[in-house]
Amino acid sequence: MAGLVSTNTFWSLWLLVHLILAVGLLGALTHQAMAVALPVRRPAGGIVTRFRAVPAAGYATAVCVLWVLTFLVGSYIYTKYRIYVRIPLEQTGRNKTVGFFDFKEHVAAIGLTLLPAYWYFWKNAQNPEYDNARKGVTLVLAVMCWFLFIVGHVLNNTRGFAS
Amino acid sequence: MSTATATNSKAASKAAPPALAASSKFKTFATTFSIAGPVVYCVTQYFNWPLFTYHPATGRLVWGYEAARPGEGPNMLWYGWIVTTLLIAAALGLTAMMLPERISKKIPLALVWIFPILAIPYVIYSLMPWWTHP
Repeated sequence: MAGLVSTNTFWSLWLLVHLILAVGLLGALTHQAMAVALPVRRPAGGIVTRFRAVPAAGYATAVCVLWVLTFLVGSYIYTKYRIYVRIPLEQTGRNKTVGFFDFKEHVAAIGLTLLPAYWYFWKNAQNPEYDNARKGVTLVLAVMCWFLFIVGHVLNNTRGFAS
Repeated sequence: MSTATATNSKAASKAAPPALAASSKFKTFATTFSIAGPVVYCVTQYFNWPLFTYHPATGRLVWGYEAARPGEGPNMLWYGWIVTTLLIAAALGLTAMMLPERISKKIPLALVWIFPILAIPYVIYSLMPWWTHP
């Protein structure tokens, strides 16, 4: 990429890729969590009902792939965060912001380890034995994803895109 | 008109699962991996067992833990913790696959979502210096 874009633009583009992947993941997981928590019995209805009325099982592989891709891109840009974002945040006393980012990295890693069982439960969605576990792990992952997204968004506002 | 249309999560997936998902051995591996993952991650972080340490300012990668060196910027342990966690959780999953099915089928599936919830208070506690720093 040397010569095509500046270093700043290069990393900002990767941050954007991370964001786009995260938006896809958030949408898929939220649809799925709503479908599993409040299953729709009638297909028609308002926008909220239709939001819940998705073929949730079809999202499982996409959610796993998106979680891993978002995780990998986030891990890649993390090296720059550690030097060019975290150090200035520490120097300006934004300790809770740094703490929340560390919280985010732990939650993302824990979420990563849940994916094999999550995928298995969804690929066996016709088996009622897994209903409760599937519902539980999907809701946990959805809450995690919202947390990761909001913390990332706030951190980006503090010192992120193009800074 | 049927009210049990293919709109909810269960009804939407009447198709047969792929071969991997139909395997009871894979079920044992996946559930054990996911149950062990959050616990192993917390233990790895508590005892600080990164498989490697990365120094982003210099691009140096060393096995195990290495503190930040003067003049070389910060060290990064998170990558090492994750790889340690994945290896241990995978080893536990593979070990569980060797268990007789009458034992492996007794693994409580609810632990897959209970353990990550239980891990959160520990994670918050482990970050206490950031919350209490003036």
